[in-house]
Amino acid sequence: MRKSLMWAACTAALALSGCSKIDNDNDNSAEVTNTEYPEQVYWGDTHLHTDNSIDAFGFGNRLDAENALRFARGEEVTASKGAKAKLSRPLDFLVIADHSDAMGATKAIMEAPRIALLTNKFLLRWHDMMNESDEGSLRVTAELIDGAAKGTLPASLTDPEESKERTADLWEKHGKTVDQYNEPGKFTAFMGFEYTSMPDGDNLHRVVMFRDGPKEMGDTLPYGALGLQDPEKLWAYMAAYEEKTSGKVLAIPHNSNVSNGRMFAMNKFDGSPIDAAYVKTRALREPIVEITQIKGDSETHPFLSPNDEFADFGVAGWDKCNLSCTKDMPPESYGGSYVREALKRGLELTLSVGANPFKFGMIGSTDSHTSLSTADENNFFGKHSGNEANNEGRAMHPQNLGTREGRFGWHYLSSGYAAVWATSNTREAIFDAMMRREVYATTGPRMQVRFFGGFDFAPEDIQNLVTTGYAKGVPMGGDLSGGDGEAPKFLISALMDPESASLDRIQVIKGWVDATGKSQEKIYNVSWSKSDTRKLGTDGKLSPVPNTVDLTKGTWDNATGAPELVTYWQDPDFDAAQNAFYYVRVLEIPTPTWPVYDALKFSLTLPDNVIKIQQERAYSSPIWYTPAA
Amino acid sequence: MLRKFIREPLVHFLGGALLIFAFFWATGSSRDPAGYTISIDETDIARLRSDWVRNFRRAPTQTELDSLIDQEIAEEVYYREALRLGLDKNDPMIRRRLFTKMRFVDGQKVDNVAPTDAMLQQWMDKDPDKYALSPLYDFEQIYLGQISAAEAGERIDQLNAGAGSGTFAQSISLPETLKQASTEDIGRQFGDRFAGQLKGLETGIWSGPVTSGFGAHAVRITAKEPGKAASLDDVRQRVVNEWRAAQQAEQKEKALGRYRAQYEITVAGRP
Repeated sequence: MRKSLMWAACTAALALSGCSKIDNDNDNSAEVTNTEYPEQVYWGDTHLHTDNSIDAFGFGNRLDAENALRFARGEEVTASKGAKAKLSRPLDFLVIADHSDAMGATKAIMEAPRIALLTNKFLLRWHDMMNESDEGSLRVTAELIDGAAKGTLPASLTDPEESKERTADLWEKHGKTVDQYNEPGKFTAFMGFEYTSMPDGDNLHRVVMFRDGPKEMGDTLPYGALGLQDPEKLWAYMAAYEEKTSGKVLAIPHNSNVSNGRMFAMNKFDGSPIDAAYVKTRALREPIVEITQIKGDSETHPFLSPNDEFADFGVAGWDKCNLSCTKDMPPESYGGSYVREALKRGLELTLSVGANPFKFGMIGSTDSHTSLSTADENNFFGKHSGNEANNEGRAMHPQNLGTREGRFGWHYLSSGYAAVWATSNTREAIFDAMMRREVYATTGPRMQVRFFGGFDFAPEDIQNLVTTGYAKGVPMGGDLSGGDGEAPKFLISALMDPESASLDRIQVIKGWVDATGKSQEKIYNVSWSKSDTRKLGTDGKLSPVPNTVDLTKGTWDNATGAPELVTYWQDPDFDAAQNAFYYVRVLEIPTPTWPVYDALKFSLTLPDNVIKIQQERAYSSPIWYTPAA
Repeated sequence: MLRKFIREPLVHFLGGALLIFAFFWATGSSRDPAGYTISIDETDIARLRSDWVRNFRRAPTQTELDSLIDQEIAEEVYYREALRLGLDKNDPMIRRRLFTKMRFVDGQKVDNVAPTDAMLQQWMDKDPDKYALSPLYDFEQIYLGQISAAEAGERIDQLNAGAGSGTFAQSISLPETLKQASTEDIGRQFGDRFAGQLKGLETGIWSGPVTSGFGAHAVRITAKEPGKAASLDDVRQRVVNEWRAAQQAEQKEKALGRYRAQYEITVAGRP
């Protein structure tokens, strides 16, 4: 009976908010002019969790979508654990991507009238644990993640039919909030969710984001992964959505680093070989991947790229076992776990299947579970609310996911953001730029990276790099073909983030398939600071930029790096018959990691094994070369 | 007569009973936790049945249903006995649970008033600085490189003495001139530190060095339009969002305040 009282109250409340006259339809239809070509880079996070994600709430997140949007927009908010939080610079766009499975469920379990749960011993136990203490809440969350990995969650949480009503109410309210904060031309708020497929704890997660607003989306609900773990099912949902609404939607794989080789496997989910239909669908649905985020960096691994002295960034702590740490990951699995290797596999598949399933651009995002999109080392709010900025022990705390494997707080990266070259700050322009892969990833700093490829460039074109780049070539994410056997030429520039560190170097990373059908990689240093004193060795390697980090102050000297690097580069090892890709990696000079700032703030002594100095970086989307048919 | 009637304890008792009755009637519950009657009616049984179906995806057998009912009775009996013994007192879970419920109920009263333009204008007027439109600058900028302030200062003196800008300009892909640029636009390209330094600069001459993360710049402001108060239409969406968020926060605060006012609260060590 009390249950029905509560339901009545909820329904009344919903009905009331449904009647609300506060909407911004008029403002949302304001005309925004698109520039002729992308003049500005827009910064955002495509992967943020709020209190509607089951694990985020369980870890203590009490900030809702509205707080998340206000924070991204540059407002000050109070974090769940009480610290004041504000970005040093606002973001331009945000995708709130809460887990679709059991969306809002932990919040509902904790807040539900106890009697409503009496018949479900599973949920009742969790309800009591969550209400008892923060520790209980953490234990519930660990059990939830574990249960999701093992497939043992109760049906009332995972069955879409069971949770449909709750999800529909929540989703409608969420859409309203997102629309209220979407201000075309100023700040873009996207609809989205995370599809959290995790067979046996192997991470196959995708963020799904919509080009459309809630109105166009109609009664579309987020798509759950539990029981439907095959990503092809998600792609079918996406196709059905586009069919039904004439809208557009894309998916962004992430944390391939803890997928145990499955994210970019050479076969389908069921183990059968990749075929042409799979390739076509995957390439269409997944135009970009998230290469860097809090749970590590997925570019490459020293095992895969032994000649790359920068391959170990963001690898420590994440390469031993899969997401839930239920399985060890042998190095032989890494090929399917890292992005560079996937790009190479894509070239091989182009030859064997006729098309490339891994033809994607790169972005970074946070995957923060605190509702706070932070990626600055000196303003890092942690992975979840249990390790926000005011938790002084957080760098050394063992992490619940795989403690026995030695994952600690300091393994989390304060990373990353998505940079998008779009013609305006609107849902349409940003989404379309992602579809054409004119995007890049950074580990947090906002350096501006331009990358154009073509056959007609001349060295002096760097004077008018952007206009010439568009006029005579293709931007990052584009395709090159033809060229009459001549090697492709590239115009590349990187401007430092004026609020971060100066630049060490620009590298071009090339992948190709050799005459035997095997893929290869090579790294070219193409532009660097202090080029009068730093020279390339015969092996193509460049002496490291001096480390000027003062750990006792958290400072460094920008004079050792370059404010800007600009160059023209032509591939010296080109073979017109071989498929290839080229992407750019920009390295900052060495700077302190977030635990260093924590140590200064709380007067801690960090053990030797904690990584204290790093070179933050940007990864551009590739440009692909295909021999003329 | 009436006054006497009001003071009559029996009337109080009956009135109280009536209230309790009204509550249980209104909430649809036939159970009075203080009483000794437990009746499981058809709606209760229907609920037990449908909860079972939700969990097990089939109807309960008669035996299962009977045991559900017995369980329900046992729980109700223990629940009431526990209340009689006062076991609900000082239980952190119950306390927390009731706190959450009250917060929820209070939260529902908030919201949902459409603000008029006058209300929004009033809201804006409380903090005009927050919504003020940035000054707009027309300026030229020469990037002098990563050099010391003293060196940069000398070069700026030479610029003002008539040296050509090309003499010192270091190449960087930053605009050499900007027109009608807001502090935000400037901050996007040059960093906030640079943007913040323009305020104090004289118009018409080369000034600086203005420092940014890139290094030192010479800046000549050619025109400056002072910042001004925004009109409601300039910032309507932001104002509506902030007005609504503030209303919600305020209502929450007020609700607590109303309750708190009825209490005398003392805290050791707090005046």
